[in-house]
Amino acid sequence: MTVKLLLRYSPEALDKPILAQVIRQTSAELNILHAELDAAKGEILIGVEAPPAEIEKLISLFKRNGIDAKKLEHAVELNRDTCMDCGACLSLCPTGALRLKNDYSVELDDDKCILCEVCVPACPVRAIKVTKL
Amino acid sequence: MVTKTYEEINQRIRDGDAVVVTAEELVEIVRERGAERAVKEVDVVTTGTFGAMCSSGAFLNFGHADPPIKLGGGEIYLNDVPAYSGLAAVDTYIGATAISTTKGLEYGGGHVIEDLVRGKEIVLKGKGYDTDCYPRKEIETTATIQDLNQAILCSPRNAYQHYNAATNSLNETIYTYMGTLLPNYGNITFSGAGVLSPLGKDPNYETVGVGTRIFLGGAQGYVAWEGTQHNPGKAFGTITVIGDLKEMDPRYVRGCTIDRYGTSLYIGLGIPIPLLNERIAQAAAVTEAQIKTNLLDYGVPRRDRPVVREVTYAELRSGKVEVHGREVPTSPLSSFKLSREVAQKLKEWIQRGEFFLSAPAELLSRDSVFKPMKQAVGVPLAKEIMTRPVVTGLPTDPITSAAKVFAERNFDHLPIADKNGKLVGIVTSWDVAIALSTKKKKLSEIMTKRVITAGENDSIDAVARKLEQHGISGVPVVDAKGVVSGIITSEDISKLFGRRTR
Repeated sequence: MTVKLLLRYSPEALDKPILAQVIRQTSAELNILHAELDAAKGEILIGVEAPPAEIEKLISLFKRNGIDAKKLEHAVELNRDTCMDCGACLSLCPTGALRLKNDYSVELDDDKCILCEVCVPACPVRAIKVTKL
Repeated sequence: MVTKTYEEINQRIRDGDAVVVTAEELVEIVRERGAERAVKEVDVVTTGTFGAMCSSGAFLNFGHADPPIKLGGGEIYLNDVPAYSGLAAVDTYIGATAISTTKGLEYGGGHVIEDLVRGKEIVLKGKGYDTDCYPRKEIETTATIQDLNQAILCSPRNAYQHYNAATNSLNETIYTYMGTLLPNYGNITFSGAGVLSPLGKDPNYETVGVGTRIFLGGAQGYVAWEGTQHNPGKAFGTITVIGDLKEMDPRYVRGCTIDRYGTSLYIGLGIPIPLLNERIAQAAAVTEAQIKTNLLDYGVPRRDRPVVREVTYAELRSGKVEVHGREVPTSPLSSFKLSREVAQKLKEWIQRGEFFLSAPAELLSRDSVFKPMKQAVGVPLAKEIMTRPVVTGLPTDPITSAAKVFAERNFDHLPIADKNGKLVGIVTSWDVAIALSTKKKKLSEIMTKRVITAGENDSIDAVARKLEQHGISGVPVVDAKGVVSGIITSEDISKLFGRRTR
């Protein structure tokens, strides 16, 4: 299973090649899922497939470099009680994490979700919630 | 030819012998056994849809306060959403698209209606003017749907026979009543229940009419009239519907917010179609592969949006549609799952003898047409007010050449075009001023490459909105090929308004 790590950069850390340095110190394969960086702040979401010990090592490597790294679990939730299966979200999802089941109900594949949040305001009944805190 | 009557069908419902199938099931039956056998074997076909229907609302009556107040002619707010106050003292109409004065687009009339159906308490605030018979001027109270004398869902336009699909050619995301449309034909949205579409299954309007009993929001309701904009000739038929909100089920009455567009109401609606003859059976057996609609470019903010291509509901339902050689993902905006559920529920009601068919008192018009708004003053188009010919620069031109143009001609915007006239950037007098302190030489080094543009046929209202949204003072106008044909500045628009009011 892919573990998602959210990396929060401080403005000072933004101009250092920290990601590259960390990658060189680990055997884990990282995949950048989503990144938002500007002058004031930076957030990179990475997906890692590695044993738990390796993940912990990664987190401490990032932390040592001044980056707030944390594991995201169940950061996105589709409230099935609220969802009316309209499908407005489907074509906005860049990874196919939101999809229709055979019975035409909408399902969310947590694993595939990159937390881009495009679907959140587009849901007419606010059934999708993303919690990154 | 086999025929049957409403009376015969209702007798069979009473006897528990009626054969009822959903429109999806009928497709298979007609395919396998033909329309004639279908009429012999099946009595009723049920349809269903569950989609956002903006022309929805409810009449409510609060009863009189003591001392009494006349809200008619005053102001009425339900959970801070304005309701209509042009009726008698304590009657109102709450429409789905009315927007909260405190929460904006997050809460509207559609949500008020859902909350009423859920049995939630609603805050009523009202103002009136005092008369000899209605001395009170203000009121604030709470009420649930049970406290109301009547709560009547009455919607002038529901259940579109079919609808256009939407996409967006612009290089920016747009937020429309067809949902969020990604740039560069990034996605497609569509609505309607396709194979289950209530009016789509009686496209010749042979059974649906005034007084047809229907499934409405989980209760039994009626078709009251043809809907507004009813346009059966173009397969855009609609109905006005009415039903008791007090009996409805919140599962089928859902307030919603369409991002950055507005609020609306999702309604579950189903119509039973009696298979009176073969023609009706044949029409009701139409498949999604046979139901066509136009994919329109909502990037063009005009009444007549360009058709990108024709598509079938089967293609739209598949999740991907080809546009200009690329596979584009689709979003249904109507829930097919709930549409099915409505058709299934209606089928069960009839099978259990809880729902009988009503012969229409009058059939709906088959030749209404949908006319455009009669506008006293036409809105000018970009091509009519733009400055042309327009002076453009080449990317390779020196920055000084732009400075010269600005100084001599009193312009502030210089569109940059390639040798073929195609727009590649824009330089403003401000860019030139800033460039003075740098070592930059060519216009290509200082030009803005992502240019906000207007189309030749954009209305000036759309152009004015663009200037305001992006905080800019001018836009180049481009033709269909991206060639610069003119320029419009905020000054041009102000001048025009000056002329209009004079």
